[in-house]
Amino acid sequence: MHPRHVLAALALAALAAVALVAAPTAWSQDDIVELKAEAFGTHLRPAAVFKHDEHNEKAGLDDCARCHHYYEDGKLVEGQDSVGTPCSDCHALKGAGGQPGLREAYHRQCKDCHVEKAAGPLACGECHTGS
Amino acid sequence: MHAFYALVSGPLVWAAFALFLGGSIWKIASLMAETKAKDTYVVEYWSWSHAFASFVHWLVPFMSTNSRRQPVMTVVTFLFHIGIVLVPLFTLGHLVLLEESVLGVSWAALPDSVVDAAAWIVVLGCVYFAWRRLTLPEVRFVTSAADFVILLVVAAPFVTGIMAYHGWGDNLLMTSLHMLCGEIMLAAIPFTRLSHMLTFWYTRGYTASEFGAVRNVYDW
Amino acid sequence: MADIAENTQAATDAMSYIERVAAKSAQDKADGKYAQFASIKDVGVDDGVARLTPERIEKTINQVLRGECGARMRAYVQTCVHCGLCSDACHHYLSNDKDPKYSPVGKVKRTIWKMLEKQGKLTPAECREAVVVSQTECNLCRRCQQFCPFGIDVAYMIQTVRRICHKLGITPQYIQDTCHSHASTLNQMWVKDDEWVDTLQWQEDEARDEIPNIRIPVGKVGADFMYSVIAPEPKFRTHLIYQAAVIFDQAGCDWTMPATPGWDNSDMAMFTGDFETMGRIKKAHYEAAQKLRVKKIVMGECGHAFRSVYDVGNRWLGWKMPPVPMVHSIEFFYELVKAGRIRPRELFPERVTFHDPCNTVRGRGLHEMGRYVANAFTQGVVEMAPNKVFNICCNAGGGVINCGPPWKTKRVLSNRYKAEQLARMKDQGINTIISPCHNCHGGLEDIIHYYGLEMHLMFLGDLLFKYMEKPGAVE
Repeated sequence: MHPRHVLAALALAALAAVALVAAPTAWSQDDIVELKAEAFGTHLRPAAVFKHDEHNEKAGLDDCARCHHYYEDGKLVEGQDSVGTPCSDCHALKGAGGQPGLREAYHRQCKDCHVEKAAGPLACGECHTGS
Repeated sequence: MHAFYALVSGPLVWAAFALFLGGSIWKIASLMAETKAKDTYVVEYWSWSHAFASFVHWLVPFMSTNSRRQPVMTVVTFLFHIGIVLVPLFTLGHLVLLEESVLGVSWAALPDSVVDAAAWIVVLGCVYFAWRRLTLPEVRFVTSAADFVILLVVAAPFVTGIMAYHGWGDNLLMTSLHMLCGEIMLAAIPFTRLSHMLTFWYTRGYTASEFGAVRNVYDW
Repeated sequence: MADIAENTQAATDAMSYIERVAAKSAQDKADGKYAQFASIKDVGVDDGVARLTPERIEKTINQVLRGECGARMRAYVQTCVHCGLCSDACHHYLSNDKDPKYSPVGKVKRTIWKMLEKQGKLTPAECREAVVVSQTECNLCRRCQQFCPFGIDVAYMIQTVRRICHKLGITPQYIQDTCHSHASTLNQMWVKDDEWVDTLQWQEDEARDEIPNIRIPVGKVGADFMYSVIAPEPKFRTHLIYQAAVIFDQAGCDWTMPATPGWDNSDMAMFTGDFETMGRIKKAHYEAAQKLRVKKIVMGECGHAFRSVYDVGNRWLGWKMPPVPMVHSIEFFYELVKAGRIRPRELFPERVTFHDPCNTVRGRGLHEMGRYVANAFTQGVVEMAPNKVFNICCNAGGGVINCGPPWKTKRVLSNRYKAEQLARMKDQGINTIISPCHNCHGGLEDIIHYYGLEMHLMFLGDLLFKYMEKPGAVE
C-alpha cells in the first residue's frame, strides 16, 4: 500500500471510532470526594473525583501505606504510613531532586498503579470531570 | 483499552518522535547534501539578510502583496498555523505528560480556553481549506485525493483532542485515539507535503536571496 | 434658423477603449478563436513528436529530472501545497477567463508533476502538451514567484520542461531556427560577419549627416565600455544603433562595438533549454568584451538578453556574477541623465505610461531608474496598475514571440489582460507607452494593433535621441 493510503486509513478509522463512542456518559454525583489541595492556589482543572472507600474496596486495597507512603531522607520506610498528613506537607509545587512536585505526585500516585494493574482511569478527563 | 492506551502513550510516542526527528534530520540533511552537490547556486547566492526579511514579510499577515490580495485566506492560514504550533506545545495535558515522562521537563501551559479556541480554529481552518479545494476551480484543478488525506491527518488530532477535552465520548478511548492521531501526524511531517514546515525556509530563503542579492528587487 | 435636421446623422456612442477590448474579446469567443488554440500546427513540434519513441521519452525526461535537477526541484515539488495562490499572478490565466489549466501551478501539474508521477513514461501526446505549455503558455516572467508564499520558482520548473523538450527535439520551429543561427553564427539572425561591420559603417554614414564628426568605434581596445545589441537591431532595426551612437557620442562616451562574433547579446538558446549553445554564445560575448579590455558592457534596450548576460549565461559558465561588469541601457541612460551628460532640449509634449520589462524589474529592479529618465524627458509618467516589480508581462518575452506566426493569435488573445490595462490608460488620454525592451515592443504592438488601442510605443533611446540637446549636430 502507498504510505498516503495507510495514513488515510488510520485517520479515517480514528475519526470513525470517535463518532461511535461520542455518547454522553452518566455520572453518579453522590459521595463525591475530591482530591483538592489548597496548596495549588488556582486550580487549572476541576479537582479529580476520588471516592476513597469505593475505590479501595474495588481495588482490594487494605494497606494504607500503598498510597499514604512515608519517606525519610528520600528513602521509603516500610511499614509506616502518612495517614492524616496532607500530600502538600511534603510535596512542594515544584519537584526537588528525586521528589516529584505536588501535581506530578498526585498524577503518578494514581496512574502508575492504574497502569500496573491495567485498571482505573488514565486519561485527563476521566478524573478531572467537574465543570 | 488499557493496553491500547499503553501502546499509544508508550512505544508509539517514541516511534512517532523518532520518525519525526529522524525523518526531519534526514530530510534536511539530504536536501543540504544534494544542494551542495548539484545546486551550488543556492549556496553561492544565499543571503541571510534577504532571507530573513522575506521570512518576516511572508509570515506576518498583510506584509506581502499577495496576502493583501487574499485577506480571508491570509487570516485563516495565519491563525491556522499559529494554532497548529501552539496547541501541541502549550496544552496543559501535554505538559503534564511531559512532566511525568522520562524527560521530566515542563513549561507553563496556556489557559484551557485559549488552547480550546485555537484547536477549533485549526479544525475550522481544515474545513475552509477543504471547501477551497472543492469549490475554487484553480485549486480544484491541482487537488488530488492526497490533498484531502493530508487535511484529514491534520484535522484528526485536533478533533479528537477537542472531544477528549470536552469529555465527549469515552474519555480513555478518545484520549488514546487523540494520541494515535497526533502520532500519525507527527510521523507524517517529514514524509508528506507537511514537510513544507521544514522546506519553507529553503525555498523562501533562496528566492529571497536571488531576488535581493542578485536582482536587487524584493520578493513580497 | 432653418431646420437643417435632415442633414445630421444620429451620433453613434463613442466606445471607450476598454469597451473595445471587451467587444473584440466577445467577438473572438463567438468566433471560437480561443477554442482553436488546441489545433495549432507547428512543424517543429509535430514532426518532432512524430519521431518520439517511448524509450527516448523516458530516458530523456529522467536524465534531466534525475540527472540535471537536484535539491531545488525536489524542494519545489515537495513543498507546493497546491493552494492555487499563484493563479492571479499569470496573464495567461487571467486572459483566458481564469481557466485553471493556465495557472502557474496548473501548468506545472500538466508538465513536471506528470513527468514525475509517471516516472518519465509520457505519451507523445503528453510530450506535445509539455512543449506547448512550456514554450507558448509561459513567459518565464517570474511574477508567480512573487505571489507564491513559498517563493517557488515556477519559471525554473517550466524552463526545465523546455530543456526536456529541447532534448526530445520537439521545440517549435521558429525559435529553433534562431537557435540554429546562434549555434552557427553566434548571433540570432543569421547575420554574417561582414554584414555586421557593414551595418555599423552604414549607420555611421547615416549619422554623419546629422553629426559630421560622429564615429561608431568598432573594435576599439581599451574603451570605457562595449555596447552590445541583439541581432534584430542590425537585421531590421538599424536606426536603434544610429540612435545609440548619437546618444553616446553627444554624451561624450568612450565606447566601442566588437568587430567579431560576440557582438550579439541575445539568447534564444536559453529559452529553448539548449544550455550548451547558450554557454557558447555567452562565452563569445564576454570574451569579446575581455578582448577589447573594456571596463564594462552596456547593453541595448532588451530584457531577455539582460537575463541571459546578467543572470543565466554566467551561471552556466561557472561565474557567480558576469565576468565583465554589465549594465542595462536603462541604468546607463539614468546615469547619463543624472550626471547631466544628456539634457533635454525640449520635452515630449504628452504624458506617457511606462511598461516595465519583466527582466529589468524582477531581473534587476530598474523600474525607478527607467521612470527617472522618462520623467526627465516627458510631461510625466502616469502609472499603470499593477506596475514596477509586479508588472504584467507583454506575453512576447521568454521566447514566446519567437515561436513565430503559428502561435501569434494565441499569444495575443492570451494577453487580453494587458490589452485591458493599456486600454484603461488610453481612456485616460495616455497615447504613448515607454518600454525599454524589444520583446515588449513586439508583444505590445501586436496587442495594440489587434484590439485597436491606437497607442504608440517608444524606447527610452527613442525619447533621448529625439528630445536631447545635440551640441554637435548640424541643422
